[in-house]
Amino acid sequence: MAASASAMVVASRAELLSLFRSLLRTASKFSDFNIREYARRRTIDGFRENRHLSDPASVAAAFADGNSQLDIARRQTTEIYGGKKIGQNILI
Amino acid sequence: MTPKAMFPKLLPSAAGLVRRIFLSSRPLSSSSAASLATAELSSPHTNSVDADEEGIITMKGVRISGRPIYLDMQATTPVDPRVVDAMLPFYLARFGNPHSRTHLYGWESEEAVESARTQVAALVGANPKEIFFTSGATESNNISVKGVMRFYRDKKRHVVTTQTEHKCVLDSCRHLQQEGFDVTYLPVRSDGLVDLERLASAIRPDTGLVSVMAVNNEIGVVQPLEEIGKICKEKGVPFHTDAAQALGKIPIDVERMGIGLMSLSGHKIYGPKGVGALYLRRRPRIRVEPQMSGGGQERGIRSGTVPTPLVVGFGKACEIAMKEMEYDGRRIAALHERLLKGIREKLDRVVVNGSIEHRYAGNLNLSFAFVEGESLLMGLQAVAVSSGSACTSASLEPSYVLRALGVDEDMAHTSIRFGIGRFTTEAEIDHTIKFIVHTVKKLRDMSPLYELDKEGVDIQKIKWSQH
Repeated sequence: MAASASAMVVASRAELLSLFRSLLRTASKFSDFNIREYARRRTIDGFRENRHLSDPASVAAAFADGNSQLDIARRQTTEIYGGKKIGQNILI
Repeated sequence: MTPKAMFPKLLPSAAGLVRRIFLSSRPLSSSSAASLATAELSSPHTNSVDADEEGIITMKGVRISGRPIYLDMQATTPVDPRVVDAMLPFYLARFGNPHSRTHLYGWESEEAVESARTQVAALVGANPKEIFFTSGATESNNISVKGVMRFYRDKKRHVVTTQTEHKCVLDSCRHLQQEGFDVTYLPVRSDGLVDLERLASAIRPDTGLVSVMAVNNEIGVVQPLEEIGKICKEKGVPFHTDAAQALGKIPIDVERMGIGLMSLSGHKIYGPKGVGALYLRRRPRIRVEPQMSGGGQERGIRSGTVPTPLVVGFGKACEIAMKEMEYDGRRIAALHERLLKGIREKLDRVVVNGSIEHRYAGNLNLSFAFVEGESLLMGLQAVAVSSGSACTSASLEPSYVLRALGVDEDMAHTSIRFGIGRFTTEAEIDHTIKFIVHTVKKLRDMSPLYELDKEGVDIQKIKWSQH
């Protein structure tokens, strides 16, 4: 996760908001109730925890981490089983 | 997932955006949960667990309107999607055998295995060379107990363990007894903790191993590992601990705790089933006799092809656990409080089995007086919980762990174990409280013993007459 100065991506506020929105949108696509709720909750709590970061290196590291989590979430929410639901939790 | 923060001056507009996102995201619907009061019995038409169009599932004669709430995290855990994502490439394109030395498939597979080994080692404070992958904690326990004693069989003939250990440790000890070794099964106190003085006095000059599990799978009690490690170090005896339930949940440091051997399991920390690890100390070196003979993989400790996808999943699960231990710990502690308080507010005569202070919060084992265990579980089809551990639930005996705590037979039969995990939500806890309270009240209404108890009669002192 350690980003060298030359590889640092300086994230603008628009990009951060976009990341947040994309994470929440992708989170809602998980078919499993528990994972869906966890993804949403962890995104919100994660952003809340990091809201006071000011050092550019740690900001860039967190932004990169968020982007990789978004990639993982996108890959895992594709329709592997052709749309057939594996089973809905009783709470939905 | 710890993404970037928003700058402070963003907050006014960001707050509005966040509010809009919150309101537009899918809300939880509790109408279907409310409509499910009890499970109906119907003739089993199909064995398939596929739901029909309305989502109703019929299996083993029980109809429920959706998949149950999963609160059995000690039996197994769901696999984290981040772990699945890490494993899939090794099932698809990178399917090589890590022991193939001659081509790219082997090299990349071996690199993935070694990287996973580093991830596992980092979580317990060990050197990667001290981690050996096995098929699970059961195999690691077998290697630890039987392997150590058989290696040192000329000098060491005695094993010290506790009565609340996992079945695989107790069964391995029984096998050793049949081979002629001595085993001391230490009793535990009524709160589940091992008595340190009795442990120290049980160690003899020819003791080859002390085995005490870190977190008990049935009652969730956390043993004082540092103190036990210190005693074992003073006496020069290797200390083995079954840390399958403890890994990733309580901080483990093999140096601080003086651990010589440790069994780890993948599917208890949101990793795949079928993989585990054995930690084997190098300084001072502890030798074991291998239980699996073959091509000498894993430095001869455990022969057999190392299953790359499973091992990669295990490593990723350990890495995630290290990052999320504090966040998950806080959340699970709060959910534990919520569950216990919610049940205690509505029901009396509820007993927590095991120490409350020295406990892992994700494991709550409760006994409900005047309720029969099997009927309680049958009435709780909407919640997936367990009574006793999965390993012993096939037999009709009450759990030996609860018996070792000194719990009465009737209370041991009504024990329910709730497992709270990373993915458990507040809504699930609230619904569980509702279901439990409803079922227990219904059963107690039918119980003549409960009526007697409410009238103030002491059940133990009744002299039952013969007809």
